[in-house]
Amino acid sequence: MKLIGNCKISKDGVFLNGELKFTLSEETWKREIYTRLAIDYPKFHKMDALAKMAFLSVEILANSPNPYEYGDSEMALIFANSSSSQDTDLKYIHSYEVKGSPSPSLFVYTLPNILTGELAIRNKWYGENCFFIEEKFDAEFFLEQINFYFSKGAKACLCGWVNSFDGKEECFLFLIEKDTIDNTESLKEELTKLYNQ
Amino acid sequence: MSDLKQTLKEQIIEQLNLEDLTPADIKDDAPLFGEGLGLDSIDALEFIVLLEQNYGIKIADPSEGKDIFQSVNSLAAYIEKNK
Amino acid sequence: MSPIFMTYGTMITPLGNSVEENFDAMLKEQSGVDFAENSGFNQENWPLGKINSLPAKNRYKELLQRTCKNLISSHGSELFSDENTLLIISSTKADIEALPKDTFASTRSILKEELSLKNKIVIISNACISGVIAINTAADYLQHSDFKKVVVIGIDALTDFIIYGFQSLFALSNEPSQPFDKNRKGICIGEAAGVVILSKEKINEQFHVEYLGGSSSNDANHISGPSRTGEGLFRSINLTMQRAKIKAAGIDFISAHGTGTNYNDEMESIAFDRSGLIATPLNSLKGYFGHTLGAAGLIEVIATMKMMENSTLLKSVGFKETGTTRAINVLRENKQQEVTTILKTASGFGGGNASLILKKCL
Repeated sequence: MKLIGNCKISKDGVFLNGELKFTLSEETWKREIYTRLAIDYPKFHKMDALAKMAFLSVEILANSPNPYEYGDSEMALIFANSSSSQDTDLKYIHSYEVKGSPSPSLFVYTLPNILTGELAIRNKWYGENCFFIEEKFDAEFFLEQINFYFSKGAKACLCGWVNSFDGKEECFLFLIEKDTIDNTESLKEELTKLYNQ
Repeated sequence: MSDLKQTLKEQIIEQLNLEDLTPADIKDDAPLFGEGLGLDSIDALEFIVLLEQNYGIKIADPSEGKDIFQSVNSLAAYIEKNK
Repeated sequence: MSPIFMTYGTMITPLGNSVEENFDAMLKEQSGVDFAENSGFNQENWPLGKINSLPAKNRYKELLQRTCKNLISSHGSELFSDENTLLIISSTKADIEALPKDTFASTRSILKEELSLKNKIVIISNACISGVIAINTAADYLQHSDFKKVVVIGIDALTDFIIYGFQSLFALSNEPSQPFDKNRKGICIGEAAGVVILSKEKINEQFHVEYLGGSSSNDANHISGPSRTGEGLFRSINLTMQRAKIKAAGIDFISAHGTGTNYNDEMESIAFDRSGLIATPLNSLKGYFGHTLGAAGLIEVIATMKMMENSTLLKSVGFKETGTTRAINVLRENKQQEVTTILKTASGFGGGNASLILKKCL
C-alpha cells in the first residue's frame, strides 16, 4: 500500500502531508478555508459541518501532485466517525421542537454518509462507498477495509475520519494506492501519528 | 423595501442553515437556485415554510414557487404584493 | 475463493416475531402497514409499518433486546461468544432518543451484554443501503480475515424524527405504499430487525444460500434525489454480476428496493432495463413492511431466502398497474417456482446504491 497524501483540518489549522500549511482565526473557520482556496461551489454553503470538512479536505489534497488520477469508479470511499450525524440531528430536532416545523434541508443531512455523496457529486466519483461508526480513530480498522477493497479490484481508497460533535470538529483524510508492498504495520504507525499531529 | 430585503436575507440564512454566510453574501438580483446560491428543490420547500411562518403567505403547490423564489428581489416583490 | 454460506437468524416486524411467522403472514398476503393515529407532525394518520407491541419510549433498545433474545433461543449463545464470530450492525439512526448522548453507545452495550461478544462490533450507517453493504462487508471479513462466522443485524425503529423528516420532504404516502405502481404516492416508513449469519461452513441443518458477490456504487448526482439514468444502480448491478460470475440471463429473480416514490421506482426500472433485466420477475417488499431503513436490506434478503427455500415467489403487495417508463416484470400474484439465483438491490440518500447475488445451495 502506498500513502499518496493526507490532510488534517480543524479550527486550529490545515495540515497537508504532515506540514502545517496555515492557521485559522475565524469562528467560521470552514468558510475561511473555502475563501482562501478560492473555490466557487455555492452548494458548499448548504452542507453540514461533516460534508464541509470532507469537501475542503478533498480540495486541499487535490493541490498536491495528481492525487485522484484513477478511473471514475476505481477509487473506493471509506469514511468513519464516532458521532454519526448527531450535531445535525440536534439542529433538525430543534427545527420541529422549537422553530415550528421539521426542516427538510436539515433532515437530508441527518445521515453521516451524505458527505460521501457530496464528494461523489463534486468529483464524479462512482466507486464503492461505505460509512462506519467507530468509537475512535483506528488506523488498523481502515487498513483492514482498504485491504478488502483492494482485493475486490479498487486501485485506490480515499479514507476519512470526519467528526463533529459538541463543538469539536475535525477531519483527517488520506489517500492510499494499491501496490505490491505489504507495509501494513508501518502505515498503521504513520497514519496514527499523522492523525494525532 | 430595502429593509424587507435585508430581513429576507437574514431569514434565508436562518431557514436554510447557511450559517457561514452573512446577508452581504447574498446579492439582491443573484439567482438563489442553481448557479447563484446553489439551492435546489428541497430548499424550495424551506422557502414555502419561510413565507408561511414569517409573512403568513401560503403556497399550496411547490411548483408555483419557481418564479417567486428566483432572487431576493422577486421574493420581496411577491411579499409586498401579497401581504 | 472459498464459498461463503448464509442462513437466516431472526426477523421481527409488524407481521411477526420470527422468520417463520413473517413468511407465513406474507404467504397469506398480509401487510404490516396500517394507519397510525396522530403520527404526523400535524397529527396526520400516516400509514406506517409499526410494531404495536413495542413501548412508546425506548423502542429501539427494546427491539434490539428482543432480537438478541430470539437469537440466543434459536441459535444458542455459543455462536455469539465464539472468538471466531464477528458482529456487524446496520442501522441509520440507532438509539436516536439518546440524544444529546451518543446514539450508538446503547447498541454496543446491549449487544455486548445480551450476546456475550468477544470481539468488537462493526457498525455501518450508510442510509438505506446499509443492510446490503453490511452483508457485503461480512463476506469481505470471511474472505480476507480469520473470522469464521459473521452475524449481521439490521435494525431501525420508528421515531417522530424519521416520520417528520420524510413528511417535510413530501415523500410520505397517505395510503399503504404501492411500489412500482402507476398510482404510487410515496413511502411508508416502518420498523424492523433482521439477522443473517454468514460463515465459511454451514452452521446447522437450516437452509443456507451461497453468497456469490456484491458491490456498491454512487450516483454522483444528488444527495437525496435518485439519478434520472439509474447510473449508480446500473454500475453496482454490473459489478456484482462480474464478481459473482453471473450474467443477466442467469438471474431468476430480483428483490428490488422499490420505495414507492415516483423518482426512485422510475430510476430502478431504468437501471434494471439497462442491465438486461427488464423481463426478470421482481418484487418490492416495502408493501409488506414499509421502508425499514437500516433493517430493509436484511429483512428483504431473509424473505427472499425463504422464497428460495420454499420455491415460492412472493408478489409485490400494492402493485397493480405498470407505473414506470420501462415495463419491468413486477409480480402481481404469488407463484410456485424454483428460484436458484437472486439479485438483491438497494438505493438510498447520499446517492448510494448496493447489490448482491445469492444462490440456493442444492
